[in-house]
Amino acid sequence: MKTTTSGSIQVAAAQARSRQLMSSLMLYLPLLIPVLVLSVIPLVQGIWLGFTDYKLGTTPPRFNFLDNYARMLADRDFWMSFRTGFVWTFTVTAGEIALGMGLAMILNARLPMRGLWRILILIPWAMPPVIKGLIWRFVYHPDAGLLNYGLMSLGLLRDPINWLSDFSWALPAVIVVGIWTGLPLATIVLLSGLQTIPEELAEAGSLDGASGWQQFRNVTLPLLTPIIIALSSLEFIWNFNSFGLVYVLTEGGPAGLTRLPMLFAYLEGFAFGNLGYAAALGNVMVLVIGGFVLYGVRRQAAATI
Amino acid sequence: MRIRLLLVAVLLVVLASTAASTGGSAPVRVRFVSLAWQKQAVEAVKAVVADWNRANPSIQVDYAQVDWGSIHDYLQTSFQTGDVPDIFHYESIPILDFAKRGFLTDLTPMISKELRADVLPAAWQTVLTQDKKIYAIPYLWESLIIIYNKKAFAEAGIKPPTVANPWTWDEMQKAAKALTKDRDGDGRTDQFGAALGLRSPVNRVLNLSMGFGGTYFYQQGGRTVVYVGDAERQLLTILMNMLYVDKTASLDGIGRSSPELIPGFLAGRYAMLPGIGVWARQQLVETAPAGFEWGVLSPLKAKTQYQGSATQTLSIPAAAKNKEAAMRFIEFALNRDNMAKQALGDWLFPTRASSITLPGFRTPQNGWDVSTESVKSLRMATWQRVLGYNEWRTRLATPLMNELFANRITVEQFARRLESESPEILDRYR
Amino acid sequence: MTLSRSTRRRAGTALLFIPLSAYVAFLAFPLLWLLSTSFKLPNEIMVSRPAIVPKQPTLENYREVLGPEGVVRPSLNTFKVSVAAALLALAIALPAAYALARKQSPLNKAIIGWILVSQSFPSILIIVPLFLILARVALSNSHVGLIFVYVVWSLPFVLWILHGFVKGLPVELEEAAAMDGASFPQILFRILMPLLLPGLATTLLYALVNAWNEFFFALVVLKDPDLVTIQVSLARFRGIEGLARWGPLAAGSVVATLPALIAFTFLQRRLVSGLLSGGVKN
Repeated sequence: MKTTTSGSIQVAAAQARSRQLMSSLMLYLPLLIPVLVLSVIPLVQGIWLGFTDYKLGTTPPRFNFLDNYARMLADRDFWMSFRTGFVWTFTVTAGEIALGMGLAMILNARLPMRGLWRILILIPWAMPPVIKGLIWRFVYHPDAGLLNYGLMSLGLLRDPINWLSDFSWALPAVIVVGIWTGLPLATIVLLSGLQTIPEELAEAGSLDGASGWQQFRNVTLPLLTPIIIALSSLEFIWNFNSFGLVYVLTEGGPAGLTRLPMLFAYLEGFAFGNLGYAAALGNVMVLVIGGFVLYGVRRQAAATI
Repeated sequence: MRIRLLLVAVLLVVLASTAASTGGSAPVRVRFVSLAWQKQAVEAVKAVVADWNRANPSIQVDYAQVDWGSIHDYLQTSFQTGDVPDIFHYESIPILDFAKRGFLTDLTPMISKELRADVLPAAWQTVLTQDKKIYAIPYLWESLIIIYNKKAFAEAGIKPPTVANPWTWDEMQKAAKALTKDRDGDGRTDQFGAALGLRSPVNRVLNLSMGFGGTYFYQQGGRTVVYVGDAERQLLTILMNMLYVDKTASLDGIGRSSPELIPGFLAGRYAMLPGIGVWARQQLVETAPAGFEWGVLSPLKAKTQYQGSATQTLSIPAAAKNKEAAMRFIEFALNRDNMAKQALGDWLFPTRASSITLPGFRTPQNGWDVSTESVKSLRMATWQRVLGYNEWRTRLATPLMNELFANRITVEQFARRLESESPEILDRYR
Repeated sequence: MTLSRSTRRRAGTALLFIPLSAYVAFLAFPLLWLLSTSFKLPNEIMVSRPAIVPKQPTLENYREVLGPEGVVRPSLNTFKVSVAAALLALAIALPAAYALARKQSPLNKAIIGWILVSQSFPSILIIVPLFLILARVALSNSHVGLIFVYVVWSLPFVLWILHGFVKGLPVELEEAAAMDGASFPQILFRILMPLLLPGLATTLLYALVNAWNEFFFALVVLKDPDLVTIQVSLARFRGIEGLARWGPLAAGSVVATLPALIAFTFLQRRLVSGLLSGGVKN
């Protein structure tokens, strides 16, 4: 058997690649079957609907190629909601990560009753979703609400604010709720990230006389980067995608100021019965979010590594 | 040997038991989705179901409760998957849309003569489709009344109007002025004459505009157009006056539903809650502190006392398996006494003429007598039949009304924008 | 004058309590409200200035939610479903997360693409096809069907986060172990698992809470009243126009929230002991 050396290298490389493929296929195998059946197939069907004129009713969907997207271009409300969507998504995600990082560092310190604190901060997450919106409507109630009562008795506020109906306060008010509900998950993910950092590294940093900030910047942050990227990209997607809690709080009002993009897909599909158009909105959101996240992940990864 | 015998015995028992279960006729099962949520209402529905199940071993009704916030998505999903309940409780507005999409069974030939004749014509109107078919039985309806604080009225020397001689909107505004008070003289109002729940304001405003003769939607050359003329503007102007000129209505109501204002009402912050649904009385009974006295006033008179109304209904999906059995249960659940029982449980009115004359709806206790009189002002809200109404309300009318009630645009601007932006949505549904 | 190191540390710890109490107040205040409301009758709830301590405390709400038509059975159902879903999700995700972090293959791109699309496409639009698939394999109206759906729904997060954790570990550990002749399963379970414990605990908790809190799909899939889950059961107390039967809803929420918190306490203990005995100190 005679082959050229470069050929044999190529063959060897190809063999190595296929070995690699086989071994990763084996590792993925248990995941692939349920994911294909219960996620990929329904998703493909959903995405396909975005190229049909399907309306709720008894007539079957008809392929209409890009008609939905043509209509979408003229849908001013939908595009306007992107502004709200981005403000919401960026502030909530950033708030969750920044506040979560701070809280995770505190909880990682040797505090008395650490277990209790770690449980208490999980409340917003563990609480039944049915009641979250209702509780915050109580908090923001102009007359009977906790917030106005607190601010007014502290003398910080003279007249009550109708938080959820005020044109300048409604969006900040729902953003606070968004951070509140997402903070526990971000915190425990970051906390578990901190816990995987070997203590020797942290100790070494402080022995070198590095200040707290330097230690955080030079030791902690680089080690946490993969987790921060994973977490923030998912949070970004989820936040862009969410609308349920905000809908309970404001129904998208006042005057559409808290109308998040996903609310459109929901209303089109379930309230107005235009499933094809709703799926098309979903497809566009996938593209927009996907673009943002991939770009963001690339940049973050490039900047920190 | 023994083992074999045992096996045979087991086999025989199994066979016998399956034979028994197939031999004896298994009851027909009817799945019934109800929306009743208040304690008394749930109890009333459960009692009706239990009565039926006891009397009809061959048709067994399985009761399930779904909440108002999820029912729409629940039904839409059920219709698409075909996994539908046999009977469901909902309301007249979306029913007309479901019927048009072919999701519902035409009940017209199935309704008994007795039921057909006894339910009030105005109630049938709310479910009648364009081609005169009935896909839902209307059985509960609500009117918008005024709830007032008796002590505040006495203090301001205001005599509440009678059913026979109801207040006009003008008179209500005057009373609201007299009831608005700055008790401690710090320049801030401590008691407002009124608070109006303006969360999701569109339905309420349209319903109440009917008394002024304002209907918003008009036919013009085969198209549905929106027109905000004098009749439509009157109510808007009154509301804006109370909120921002007279300042007799509290701004707390913006973005809140009327029942959410009850704590403030009980604390004496508002003397009247105009335009609140009759069922909210139940909340008052449950939460009012001892000694707090409240009463009910009839709907206000504009040109008339008319107000648009929707009904709560029972329907059978087109894909239901046991339609006959389902209809038999509906007739039972909506007979004179059962309909009355459920209406009382929900603090609403029954749609049967024979039920609404029952003493429970005529007692002065908890304002039933005055409330029940308001049934006479209920009219089919014509906008229910407008194609695309739901999208028009959600995407256009609600945001515009938000701006109006926040005093960011005038009634004039509101009218112009509503008129000019409506065709974009409504024309898509032609 | 110099302070000893331990004194300085103690002072630092004390200082941490200021931000910590702000965090806890912000995040945990509803618990106080829930507890307080759950012991009240309606006439103490719908008031302008609700008191924290009920004037006439009642057990009526707990009697209702712990009674035969309350939330006990739904809680047990949900417990079963969410524990099964969470464990299954982790078992499936761990090897896949390793592959995603460590092996170069075209499959990785497909998986990342799937994660992205599945998380950004409106889930409400895939519920109907999903239901029809379950019905075809006779798993609608069953807990097993629900478990599989929850597994698949929590996989993207579990997989993605675990992959982040694996990536954060130094490759040298595995290489050294491989040099010593350890097989792959040995490397995965003996070397990596202990190091991944915090990540595993976190993702397990996520999968648990995710399944515990899911509402709409459970509502649509489970028709048999005996199978109903906790969120569906709680929704019965929600009313219209921003109202609810606050008392039972609060009591039910307390009953529904506690198991999740207890699960976390338990996980955390396991986690700490795992850390102490495990490989962190290598």
